[in-house]
Amino acid sequence: MNRGTLPILARLQSLQTSGRFVAGGTRVLAEATDRNPVAQILRAANETMLPRSLRFFSESGPSLTLDVAGRRILRVTDAQGLPSAQDCLGVGALEDEHKDALIKLLQGVAVQRHELHVATGPIGRGGEAVSVGLPVALLADLLLVELNPIGPDEEPAALAEAPTEPQVEEADVSGSGFQGFAAAMGPSLIAWLIDGGAEDGRSDGPDEMVSHLQGFLADERDSLERQFDLLSALPGDPICMILGATLVEGHSIIGARLGPAVLLGVVEGDATTAVLGAWRAALR
Amino acid sequence: MGVNESLGAVVKAFPQAHLVAFADLSSRMILSSTGPLSTTQEYLDRLCDQARTSFDDPLFSLSVEAFGEPNAAVVMGPDTVRIFLRSDVEPADALCCICDHGIDLPAFVAKIRGTLESITHAG
Repeated sequence: MNRGTLPILARLQSLQTSGRFVAGGTRVLAEATDRNPVAQILRAANETMLPRSLRFFSESGPSLTLDVAGRRILRVTDAQGLPSAQDCLGVGALEDEHKDALIKLLQGVAVQRHELHVATGPIGRGGEAVSVGLPVALLADLLLVELNPIGPDEEPAALAEAPTEPQVEEADVSGSGFQGFAAAMGPSLIAWLIDGGAEDGRSDGPDEMVSHLQGFLADERDSLERQFDLLSALPGDPICMILGATLVEGHSIIGARLGPAVLLGVVEGDATTAVLGAWRAALR
Repeated sequence: MGVNESLGAVVKAFPQAHLVAFADLSSRMILSSTGPLSTTQEYLDRLCDQARTSFDDPLFSLSVEAFGEPNAAVVMGPDTVRIFLRSDVEPADALCCICDHGIDLPAFVAKIRGTLESITHAG
């Protein structure tokens, strides 16, 4: 599909969505079951072309009011119940240096397991609009949010009817990255090797197996990256893959990418029980 | 039970499964799909291509060298889990599934293995 058509399809989909309005003429932007309400804020801002004031407020209390125009967030005009809001509140036009503070405010108002509402009004400061501000697309990139959710990694929680609480056990490890991943996989990960990144060269398992993995990566690292890219929404995205005869017995191959690092390993026995928790540990 | 009913039973049993599709990997076609995920034909085509990519080099060769031909793949991204399963007896027959991270993966893999076998044997 031509990616240029994605915004159009997303808009058509949103027009077909039966929005839920509540008292005061506000709209429910994210249900309590939505696992990524920040994404809904960004999508609402991204669909706002004409200058508007958007007030986002969570059932749990905090609220954030933004002036938005032309797929950009121009400024923060009000914030309630959000610490550190002063970093953005006095700013006439948000710039790159404010993006981290703004992201914290967005995350602060997008409280999970609570409904998130939005109210639209005329832009603040007497209708004054500026042509600068922070592009919504930039914030979406930083937060790994797909603004036009049609694709293999679109946010699935909004499509599920039931709350999607994780059913697998959270990995009982404090580490993140591939070290955390390996620890969370436990003894079933009988051999592994990390190539690239801060943990480059770390490995565990029988020398013969690790050496075989090393040789494979030395020859095939580039083609492995290409295979990962073909399976990712975007080139370079984090990805983890297990390949085996059955995945529950015998041996399986595990390959994963996090930024510049690639992990390659061998799983013995059931590869399905621990891997989701381990992958979450790696992504933390 | 027909293919559609078989796929529907999987989705009904696992609400975290957003799409379950039966594919012919040799002709790169999704023959039947079900689930709450709204999709376009291009999306289904891409999913089928991803299934083929999962059973392709270089990881495929590594697996074959070490342990034999793989028939199951789990691909995890930041938000979703994709599970691709090929039939042992008819490798062109495959199930392609998209789930969220809350899925009970061991139970789900067992369920779709049985579903795929029943579809293949019925065909």
